[in-house]
Amino acid sequence: MPTPESTAVAPRKRRGRDLSHARDFRPGFLVKLVLVALIDAFGIYGILAAWNQEAWGILTSMVVLLAVTNWVYFAKKALPLKYVLPGLVFLLVYQVYVMAYTGYVAFTNYGDGHNSTKSQAVEALLVQNERRVEGTESYQLTVVGSGDELGFAVLDADGDVRVGTAEQPLEEVDATVDAGQVTAVPGFDVLDRTTVLERQDEVTSLRVPISDDPNDGSIRTQDARTGYVSESTLHYDADADTLTDSTTGTVYSPNDHGQFEAEDGSTLAVGWRVFVGGENFTTAFTDSRYAAPFWKILVWTFAFAIGSVATTFLLGLFLAVVFNDVRLRGRKVYRTLLILPYAIPGFLGALLWAGMLNRKFGFINEVILGGANIGWLTDPVLAKLAVLGVNLWLGFPYMFLICTGALQSLPGDVMEAAKIDGASPWRAFRSVTMPLLLVSTTPLLISSFAFNFNNFTLIYMLTGGGPRFSDASVPLGHTDILISMVYNIAGVDGNSQKNYGLASALSIMIFVIVGGISALAFRKTRQLEELN
Amino acid sequence: MSATTPDHSRLSAGRWVRELGWRHLIGVIFVIYAAFPLIYLVSASLSSGGTLTGSNSLFTDVTGSNFSTLFDTTKFWTWLGNSLIISVASSVGAMLLGAAAAYAFSRFRFRGRRSSLTGLLIIQMFPQMLAFVAIFLLLLGLGEVFPALGLNGKLGLIAVYLGGALGSNTFLMYGFFNTIPRELDEAAKIDGATHAQIYWTIILRLVAPILAVVTLLAFISTFGEFIVARIVLPAESSWTVAVGLYSLVSDQLAANWGVFAAGAVIAAVPVLALFLFLQKYIVGGLTAGSVKG
Amino acid sequence: MRRSISAVAVMAGLALTLTACSSGDDTSSDDSSTAAAGDGSTLTIWVDETRQDAVEAAAEDFTAETGTKVETVLKNYDDIRTDFISQVPTGKGPDITVGAHDWLGELTKNGVVAPIELGDLADEFEDVSVQAFTQDGQVYGLPYAVENIGLIRNTALAADAPTTWDDMIAAGQAAGTQYPVLIQTGEEGDPYTYYPLQTSFGAPVFEQNDDGSYNSTLALGGANGEAFAGWLAEQGAAGTLDTAITYDIALEAFKNGQSPFIIGGPWMLDSFEGLDLAVSAIPSAGGQDAQPFAGVQGFYVSAQSQNALLANDFLLNYMSTEDAQLALYEAGHRVPALTAAADTASADPVTAGFREVGANAVPMPSIPEMASVWTYWGVTEAAAITGAQDPTAAWQKMVTDIQGAIGG
Repeated sequence: MPTPESTAVAPRKRRGRDLSHARDFRPGFLVKLVLVALIDAFGIYGILAAWNQEAWGILTSMVVLLAVTNWVYFAKKALPLKYVLPGLVFLLVYQVYVMAYTGYVAFTNYGDGHNSTKSQAVEALLVQNERRVEGTESYQLTVVGSGDELGFAVLDADGDVRVGTAEQPLEEVDATVDAGQVTAVPGFDVLDRTTVLERQDEVTSLRVPISDDPNDGSIRTQDARTGYVSESTLHYDADADTLTDSTTGTVYSPNDHGQFEAEDGSTLAVGWRVFVGGENFTTAFTDSRYAAPFWKILVWTFAFAIGSVATTFLLGLFLAVVFNDVRLRGRKVYRTLLILPYAIPGFLGALLWAGMLNRKFGFINEVILGGANIGWLTDPVLAKLAVLGVNLWLGFPYMFLICTGALQSLPGDVMEAAKIDGASPWRAFRSVTMPLLLVSTTPLLISSFAFNFNNFTLIYMLTGGGPRFSDASVPLGHTDILISMVYNIAGVDGNSQKNYGLASALSIMIFVIVGGISALAFRKTRQLEELN
Repeated sequence: MSATTPDHSRLSAGRWVRELGWRHLIGVIFVIYAAFPLIYLVSASLSSGGTLTGSNSLFTDVTGSNFSTLFDTTKFWTWLGNSLIISVASSVGAMLLGAAAAYAFSRFRFRGRRSSLTGLLIIQMFPQMLAFVAIFLLLLGLGEVFPALGLNGKLGLIAVYLGGALGSNTFLMYGFFNTIPRELDEAAKIDGATHAQIYWTIILRLVAPILAVVTLLAFISTFGEFIVARIVLPAESSWTVAVGLYSLVSDQLAANWGVFAAGAVIAAVPVLALFLFLQKYIVGGLTAGSVKG
Repeated sequence: MRRSISAVAVMAGLALTLTACSSGDDTSSDDSSTAAAGDGSTLTIWVDETRQDAVEAAAEDFTAETGTKVETVLKNYDDIRTDFISQVPTGKGPDITVGAHDWLGELTKNGVVAPIELGDLADEFEDVSVQAFTQDGQVYGLPYAVENIGLIRNTALAADAPTTWDDMIAAGQAAGTQYPVLIQTGEEGDPYTYYPLQTSFGAPVFEQNDDGSYNSTLALGGANGEAFAGWLAEQGAAGTLDTAITYDIALEAFKNGQSPFIIGGPWMLDSFEGLDLAVSAIPSAGGQDAQPFAGVQGFYVSAQSQNALLANDFLLNYMSTEDAQLALYEAGHRVPALTAAADTASADPVTAGFREVGANAVPMPSIPEMASVWTYWGVTEAAAITGAQDPTAAWQKMVTDIQGAIGG
């Protein structure tokens, strides 16, 4: 454990010993060599594996990352990158990818009804429109094979056995039946279960016509035990890329929005994902129902984000300063207990408070306020205060930790100097401690602002955005913030049909707002820093 | 620490109140503020009823039944083990990655230094709305190449968490690194030390308090994270505590608050223990001497 | 420069050994992946906690008889719908998932669910359960339970089942308990629990076609709906309905004997152990039949399942047995969908009570438009109860707003 003396002395002592190390590059270099070799081994393995899997995206990224890594650690130029690169790689793979993916989705119509690829949509439509022919019986079914070809042998209620393949309609045969199961069919092998399972895709997609007339339908099975007569009402023409409804004769062809559309404008339900250009960005502004609540929500979002940062920081700082006195007995206990709210998962904290703030039965009203009937979460003004209050409880330990840590970094000589100058503790705090503290904590305050700007979980768990605006035509309320409004517009909260494309476009816009404000704030901070 | 323990007998009563007593008062007030919702939680974990709201009489009936249900019917200890492994690995990893980056930003002067530093922070502000689809697809692809980094692997989740290592934590450390006088490394450089030696043997030792803070912050945030964790770890035996606890109450109709509360109470212990353990590093460092005066 | 060349050589060597070592692991992990077909293949099923044990029990039989492994993946019930929709198209979704019938519209619209041919098996299930999983004449799920709410009565506090709302309030007051009746409401309202009261005023949510399926024309407006809103306001003013009563609070209060009546479903029963209970029809408030929503639980097969044959075999021949359905009943007390199992389960008078109430229930709409209704609906009910808004005007505005949300 570094006592004050030992830490202060350590560097000087160490330097003496380092002298010998410095002349001898070998140990450090060897460590580097081994590490990079391991990384390269891992990377080359990845490249080979990606080649095997035909994962070209991963392959390309691996090659680039590997080349950069080797360049960084063996070239003399890229000194800072040697330290930044490890974190940067993770950042690129796991964060920038997510951003890029969201950016990509923003230009598509991904969402309910446009969930997958075109071929999957066609497949789904065909499956949904194949039905059992009404009034037909069900058959005991056995899968049979002849060479590579599969067929079905069906046993009807009269005990007759018929067999057929995709090409060959059902024909009566003289087969062996044992205990209600066809056990042998002339000209075919009865397939055992293992074989059936190995070829289950073929089995479930096999249709054996029941007669020469295709309109009579065909036999299919889903479990290789029972067969039903079914017919399709929708047919796909791969060459023309159209679907035809055989009962009405309507022809559906694909349109620009990833759906099959008939000439009269009617569409089939299942669509697929397509690029829609900037459409999501423009639709965001055209829904007039959101115009009125938007401004209120915008103002509250800022008030909430700024208010949360200010209250949590001030309380955290205050407590950090209060407990920064070594003479105080029980400091450890105080500090540990103050971390308590932070040691509990955030969603639980919000739920816990939602219960305690219940108007009639909550602990606050019933026990602390002796049976008061205060609508903490139902009155527009009180609900806002409650949200801020709960967020203060959830957030002050973080600020307390940061400030406690940051207070340790203040150079002791400056503090001594202030003390010798005879400055009052408050003055010393304001003019010496505070500015120094702000230099290291401002970036965190900015990022805390950004976090709270998008703090969906708290709002969702505590008030659900309520109490509702009584004059708005959309389900939004006084404590809704921008991100919860976006969830609502795009249906991500489950209140309407999901539109991930729109949600992505809107979240990019929110990102531009938050990022822009933060960038401005950083510029200000830099000026502040230079002043010091 | 014993060397810095103050001698109370030297203070007069009046001075004690003025300089320390009020601190105790504030301490007590805010400890109550911080802890009382959790007392409510502890009471729920010990009560035989299963709800969190409307049961305002604390500790009226005390039973261990919720705890035994928790241990008997869920894989709580497995979850806790998973959580500890994942949180320790990713918090230490995040600390190392972040500290290295902070060192580069603090000590080297290069083009775009300031803007890439702010850029790092701004990237973390991106609303992670579609993260669940993107992360799922990413791990799906990675898992085919490196099975260990795919879905259901602890390593995969740790890697995802490390993606956020260069965030506000880097900034926190950067600010701290800047307060270490550059003369120290200049002197070492003159003595012939390489930048790597300066970093590992001088800087890292001096910034121990902030490393402890950052490790703790990263630990807590990964320990309580469940949104990404439940995408990456679908199988029950690989869940983390947060995912497991969330599953106990996610279905409102089947919510088992008592058992949940019991789990939450136990899950808070590692965080508090870690804080207790790291506290001496957090507050034992540089300034202890200066405040002593 | 020389250094780096030699380094590259070392690395390449290392990489090759690593590749060689791990390619062995690679193939073994492929074998265990869910996509592999054939003997020794694995069927992946998403279940929630309540259903896990029962499904695993049925899976054991299946494995014993067919040699197919079944892997149950425990999911949070709330996550299943979203995850199923987003993961099935990647080919990595499950083969089977548990789910509720009201997801059907969304699942088919996204093309992630495959039809199941129940065939003659359909006749062995309760009509409403198969009906609920049917869309355009096609069945998409194997039902296993029907759930609906009813009036749960603490017989120690009220001996007889009331037939009208006023009777019930009178009986509740006569019992001398803190609440005449408990109905979970919350600040956001609870249209599901309030639905039977609303239908007793003759205001169903959507219009029904002749075959019982819903179309997207709203039916909850008009004079009947407004009368219901007015009634909510009256009851709110009288204090019998209260938005401060949440599910938790209602449950706790009923358990503690603070009311003879609670409107709720079989999922509550575990909390009421030790009380002597009876279940009866929800009393009518508006004069007409009080029809609750029926929710049907079942299993869906993924449209992208690589094991479609196994999945259907498992559902049709192993989950549709009386034993399997009864095991699921034990797990959640919901009335089984298989008629034979429901008959067995009805030996328990409480289950029989729910089943009887369920005979009069209407399936919850599964059309995608339903998603847009809940929030407006609940909030408006809550506003009428608290008196925050004029009930008639609020109800009219709600109908317009929902129309806007559906049409827009």
